[in-house]
Amino acid sequence: MTLKRYLDTPEVGRNFEKRKTGFVGADQAWLSDLRARAMDKFMATGLPGPKVEEWKYTNLGFLARFLAQPQANENFEISKTDPDTAEIKSLFDRAYIENISGPVVVFVNGHFYSALSSRPDEDGVTFSIFSENPGGFRQSLAEEKESTPLNNLNRAMVTDGYYLEVSAQVTMSRPIQIIHLATSGSDGQSLHTRGKISLAASARAKVIESFLGPDGPQYWTHMISDVDVAEKAELDYFQLQLQGKQAIHITELHSVLLKKAKFNHMNLQLGAEVSRSEIMNSLSGEYAEIGLRGAYLGRVKQSHDIFTRINHDKSHCQSNQLFRGVLDEGGKSAFQGKVIVARDAQKTNADQSNKNLLLSRKAEANAKPELLIYADDVKCTHGATVGELDRDQLFYLRSRGLDEAAAKELLVEAFVAEVFSTMKNGGEKNGDDMEILQQRFTEKTRGWLSREVIS
Amino acid sequence: MDKTTYEESKMLEIKNLHVTVGGKEILKGLDLTINDGEVHAIMGPNGAGKSTLSYAISGKGGYEVTEGSVLYNGKDLLAMDPNERAGEGLFLGFQYPVEIPGVSNMNFLRTALNSQRRYQGAAEVKAVDFLKLIRAKAKELDVDPEMLKRDVNVGFSGGEKKRNEMVQMAVLDPSMAILDETDSGLDIDALRIVADGINRLRGQEKSILLITHYQRLLDYVVPDFVHVLADGRIVKTGTKDLALQLEAKGYAGLGIAENAA
Ligand SMILES: Nc1ncnc2c1ncn2[C@@H]1O[C@H](COP(=O)(O)OP(=O)(O)OP(=O)(O)O)[C@@H](O)[C@H]1O
Ligand SMILES: [Mg+2]
Repeated sequence: MTLKRYLDTPEVGRNFEKRKTGFVGADQAWLSDLRARAMDKFMATGLPGPKVEEWKYTNLGFLARFLAQPQANENFEISKTDPDTAEIKSLFDRAYIENISGPVVVFVNGHFYSALSSRPDEDGVTFSIFSENPGGFRQSLAEEKESTPLNNLNRAMVTDGYYLEVSAQVTMSRPIQIIHLATSGSDGQSLHTRGKISLAASARAKVIESFLGPDGPQYWTHMISDVDVAEKAELDYFQLQLQGKQAIHITELHSVLLKKAKFNHMNLQLGAEVSRSEIMNSLSGEYAEIGLRGAYLGRVKQSHDIFTRINHDKSHCQSNQLFRGVLDEGGKSAFQGKVIVARDAQKTNADQSNKNLLLSRKAEANAKPELLIYADDVKCTHGATVGELDRDQLFYLRSRGLDEAAAKELLVEAFVAEVFSTMKNGGEKNGDDMEILQQRFTEKTRGWLSREVIS
Repeated sequence: MDKTTYEESKMLEIKNLHVTVGGKEILKGLDLTINDGEVHAIMGPNGAGKSTLSYAISGKGGYEVTEGSVLYNGKDLLAMDPNERAGEGLFLGFQYPVEIPGVSNMNFLRTALNSQRRYQGAAEVKAVDFLKLIRAKAKELDVDPEMLKRDVNVGFSGGEKKRNEMVQMAVLDPSMAILDETDSGLDIDALRIVADGINRLRGQEKSILLITHYQRLLDYVVPDFVHVLADGRIVKTGTKDLALQLEAKGYAGLGIAENAA
């Protein structure tokens, strides 16, 4: 018998058939066709099982529950008097970073929520919402940067999404916040959203995306982002995951960088029971620069899985990855970082660092760097460590009056601080935003730690 | 401990202290009493157990007290966590101050001060007041305020680390300080400044235990008592003259084995 690499999911097809008339844009033939084709592809493979190397650390078996279940809220609409409004507002307040002024776009349970949104409104910036204008997504949905089973599933089931386009030479005046909320009524729902961010030559933008939901419901957030950064354009794209304790959080990010483009991505994982972040990037023009930064904190049944891939396809490009993990009792993580340097990609400069801190013996961190280098004149480094808190540092702090919890907190904060301090800033204004973000994340880290102390 | 046996003037009272490190007994029945406002100096050969004593008093993990007692203002110090000992007013100046990348001196000191305040039931220090306090102390000790913005001890020279310990002591204002070779590695001017800092503390009836190898510091901070620690015990006690004798003749000259272990 051959190894079972993929999991069969026949109910999914039946469920899809039942639901298809209720999907956004079901009246548009091109979209229905596209969904059906994507579904066929998904059905042909099923879900990747643990025998698939890339999925070694995250078992998708539990997704069966979502795939078999009809969605309750296909035509999502919340009236102003809806009792849920108060809950949405309070979730929003937790996610919204108020001292970063600028446009805000909110999705609730996978659907655009206009009441709390204020879209970007400036020359050279086009912003559209999938459910309002599916036609505007025709081209981007048809593009297949990656035909993975989950990407196909997302394409087939997509609930909503956004498309941010910045014209050549235009710098967005303020960062845009995208907030994805799940409500207490989201149990059993799968929220298949998509984001497309496209910067034309020499354009600049900053996107801060947060995911947040309550403890209790088991919902599945499934978000796919497509990022295009054209010649000399610069994009900062941050994702902050603050999902509820039972949530499943799966994201895919695909970026393509052209000549002299710069892309900074930050990926912060704090919540959810299971998270999986795929960050796949192609350096398709010379002198492109990419920086991936991330931190993940896990405990009690929590598992975070980060999978990055950087294709150095052209010469003189730089990639720089820095990920930090903190795992407490029962927490598990994996960092798989793949760098592929093509034969022509001479003068490549690629480095990767992944450090993990275990706060308990019952915690696990896996690190798997992988370098595939086909060019000869390159500089590639990688380093991965798994360690514990330094006893001398702990004692030093405690001898000055900090109790054990406070001392640990300070050291953990310091451990992840590198993720921020090494983030390249563009200009003073951006520096302020970075500080606000760092502060926000530090607060969340603190919250994460103090919960540990109580329980 | 029975309150009636507690004498008002005793800051630190160590009786028959035995400490084991890594399965090896280092302190073998050490007795030492330090009264309020007294300055004691401990000298002794390398490896005698001086730092071990300082760690055992401040509660470092791995320093197992197998026998004996340590009272601090009449309270059982050995029953307390290290941070509680600090909250009670004990300060240890480390022989080797620890580097903590990612934590700024400022943040560290403010967190430390406020932790102690909370322990003592006092109000936390406001950010502005803290800034004033730390600037004043840095000036007193001739420390560049820029240094305080840097990460704790990271990239500091040996002498800078020692001065930083003194800034911490000045800000935390302990009732008893154990200074483990704070004078080692200091230049002549810095030694003076540090000595002034110690004398300021002394002036407020605080107790001080100086661990040192050199007579030099004791010219500035004249101790009430000088002890020699060798092979895990106090083997000789005298006044500052003992330090002078040691300087002149060495341990062997006074009939004290270099390393009796
Ligand atoms: N973890 C350990 N395991 C075994 N022996 C240890 C351990 N830590 C310290 N020691 C030993 O304990 C003894 C006392 O060390 P300590 O640091 O207290 O000496 P000291 O008097 O402070 O010396 P110095 O003047 O050099 O600072 C030394 O012989 C040292 O090697
Ligand atoms: Mg020593």
